[in-house]
Amino acid sequence: MERTKLEMAAANYTYLRGLFFIPLGVLPIVSALGNTGWGPLRNTWVFLAVLALIGITCLPINNFYNKHYGTLRASAGQQARAAAAVVLAIVVVVGGSTLLRSRASWSLDLPVNATAVTLSLVILLSYAAGRVLKAHHLIIWGTVLVVGAIPLWDGADPSNIGLAIVGVALMVNGVFDHLLFVRTFGAPAGLEGKGDNARA
Amino acid sequence: MREPKPEPVLDRLVHEPGRLAILTVLSSVTDADFVFLQRATGLTKGNLSSHLTKLEEAGLVAIEKRFVRKKPNTNIALTEVGRMRITQHWEQLDHLRRLSEHSP
Repeated sequence: MERTKLEMAAANYTYLRGLFFIPLGVLPIVSALGNTGWGPLRNTWVFLAVLALIGITCLPINNFYNKHYGTLRASAGQQARAAAAVVLAIVVVVGGSTLLRSRASWSLDLPVNATAVTLSLVILLSYAAGRVLKAHHLIIWGTVLVVGAIPLWDGADPSNIGLAIVGVALMVNGVFDHLLFVRTFGAPAGLEGKGDNARA
Repeated sequence: MREPKPEPVLDRLVHEPGRLAILTVLSSVTDADFVFLQRATGLTKGNLSSHLTKLEEAGLVAIEKRFVRKKPNTNIALTEVGRMRITQHWEQLDHLRRLSEHSP
């Protein structure tokens, strides 16, 4: 009886539904392209339409996980950890970006990519808060963190490149999370009764 | 004179591996549906259903049948008694493990 594995099932279910990260990874890339005024994305309505499309894409993914892997409501402790992680994320992104590289008088104004550094830190912290930090998270987000922290980001504001890097990393991370999810809970079609939620 | 510590007695209803798995998974959530429990415990539909019936009869879990988007959905949660029994059971198992480690 693997007690820890059973107790971690809920956390793994909540955090490792990686297919969500594939459309969500498009979001920072589209934001970066929109910020730079690239092609049709310089039009606000096109940008908003892409956002809506990303939201719509998440619905069938949600249905896929609910149908094949069921649903749950997290425990109060897990919800509290998630809420604390959100607050910490805001502090790290806003405070970290301002401290590392901004126009604020107290900024260190370092030649780093503050967006890549802070967002990768936030994602690592959120997985750690959920107690589901895995090797592939450390490799993917550790790489983004190191790339962002290399002091070679002189010149123009590198925020948009940082956003694009984070977007790609999110998608890669999502693929690995989903593979781990399937290894943990089984193949989608592998359940006896095929997702029949009515009790036998 | 000190009274001897009571011998640990395992709760037979909870100790059965399938039911222990169900209760342990449920102890880490507010509630979960039948499919999630099947995925998390690896039990077959029939086994899970049978164990849930026993646990419900003993008052350890509460089962709610409902419809979600016109499809039947069975939602399961631990009761207060169930939460207490699974906590006590793991404590007993830990106690037994410690005893076995310290015995010559």
